[in-house]
Amino acid sequence: MSQSQQQQKPIVTVLKCLKCGYTTERPFREGDFIPKIEGTCPQDGAPLFIWGIYAKSNQQQKNK
Amino acid sequence: MLGVIDIIALAQSGAANQLNGAYYFLAYIVFFALIALMSLPGFQQRMYIYFASREIENGLAKIEKSLNTAKSKTKQLLEKQGASNPEELTKRFADMFTIDPVSVEPTDIISRMRLLIRTSEDRIKGIIMTTLPNVDPVTRSKIEVSAEIINALNTLHKVIRHYLLLGKKLNSYFILLQLQSVVPILVKMAEAYEKAQDTFIQGIPVGDSLGPLVASRFLMSIPEKWSPSREVIAGETLFEGRKLIVVKAEGPMATVGTPGEAVEKIVEKENGKVARIITVDAAAKLEGETTGEIAEGTGVAMGDPGPEKIVIERVAVKYNIPIDAVIVKMSMEEAITSMPQEVYEAADKVVELVKKLILERTKPGDTVLMIGVGNTVGVAQ
Repeated sequence: MSQSQQQQKPIVTVLKCLKCGYTTERPFREGDFIPKIEGTCPQDGAPLFIWGIYAKSNQQQKNK
Repeated sequence: MLGVIDIIALAQSGAANQLNGAYYFLAYIVFFALIALMSLPGFQQRMYIYFASREIENGLAKIEKSLNTAKSKTKQLLEKQGASNPEELTKRFADMFTIDPVSVEPTDIISRMRLLIRTSEDRIKGIIMTTLPNVDPVTRSKIEVSAEIINALNTLHKVIRHYLLLGKKLNSYFILLQLQSVVPILVKMAEAYEKAQDTFIQGIPVGDSLGPLVASRFLMSIPEKWSPSREVIAGETLFEGRKLIVVKAEGPMATVGTPGEAVEKIVEKENGKVARIITVDAAAKLEGETTGEIAEGTGVAMGDPGPEKIVIERVAVKYNIPIDAVIVKMSMEEAITSMPQEVYEAADKVVELVKKLILERTKPGDTVLMIGVGNTVGVAQ
C-alpha cells in the first residue's frame, strides 16, 4: 500500500456502553483516549467509554 | 517523362537518403566510441559510481525533508507551549547522543546499559521541564517523542551523508553499492518516523499500543491501582479464582514505562509465588504475513534493548516461573503509526486468549502476572 493511501485512512473513535453493549463510532478528536468516559448511552444512560481508536481500513482495499 | 514535381520529389528523396546515411554514420561512430570508452579501465566504475551516487542523493534528500518537517513540527509544539528558544532546543535534541557501554567486558553490562538509557531519558525530560516547568505530563511525553524522532532522523541523515561523501571521495563503488542497497529501506524508515510524529502529537494509539490496550481492558474495571515502578501502573483482580495482577505503562502518555522493574518488584512482593507470567506485545511481521495475526509462544515478548527484558527473565528463573508470550503481528511502520483496524480488532481476541491461557495453565488459588508491553500513547487504564 502506498504512503498516500495510508495517509487517507480516517481515524475513528469507538464508543461503547459496557452495560448493554451499545457501540457507536465517530471521527477521532484530539483529547480522546481509551477508556475515557464520553457521555452516556442513549439506550440505558450508563457511561459510554472510548473503547478503541484506530485507522479504519479501506474496505475496497480489503476486498481485493 | 518526368514532371517538375517528380523531379523535386526525387531530389528531396536523394537528400533524405544522404541525411539518413549521415545519421547511420554518426550512430556507428557513437556506438564504437561507447565500446571504446567501456573498455577503458575505470570508466564503467565511474558510471556505476555516478548512478549509485544519484540514487543515494535522491534518498538522502527525502530523509532531509522528513528531518526538516519533524524539526518544524517540534518547534511549533514548543512554541505553542510557550518555549522562548524552540530553535535552540530542537538543535539540542537533534544532536544528543548516548555512548554504548563497554562490551568487551560484559560483566554488569545490563545495569550499565540501564543507567545510560535512563540517564538519556532523564536528560531530555530535564531539558523540557527546565524550559517548560508547567507543562502537563501528556504534552511532555509528546515533546519527548518528538525529540527522539528528530534525533533518530538526524543520525540517519548524518550517517548516510557521511558514507556517501566517503564513497565519492575514495571513488569506492563498493561503499556506494552497499549504501545504495540499504537507502530505500532507510528512506521508508524515515518516512515512517515522520508519520509517527503526527500520530504521537495527536495522542492517537499506535500499533505498538496493542499490549497496553489489552492490559487496559482488565485494568479499567479495577478501582485500586498502584505504581510499582517509574511510569508503570498495576492493578489486582480476581479471575476465575486466580489472583490476576495486570501491569502496563502509565497512559495516556507516550511512554513504555519500566515493565521489567515492575515485574521484579511484584514477584518479590509475592515472595516468588507467581504461577505464570504472561507478556502481550506487538511484534514485527515478516513480509507476506498478515497484520493483526495472533501467535502465542514462550518467553518475554518485549522489544527493549535488554535491561527490562532480562530483569523479567532473571526473576522468572529465580522462582522457576513459566513465561508465556502472546504477540500480534504488524509492520514496523504500523507499530509506530496510527493503530491499524486489524490490530484493534485483534485486541479483544487477545483478551479472550489470555483468559483461556490462564484457565488452561493455572489452577484456582494461583497468582498470575500479565504485562501489556508497548507504548501506551492514547491508552489510559
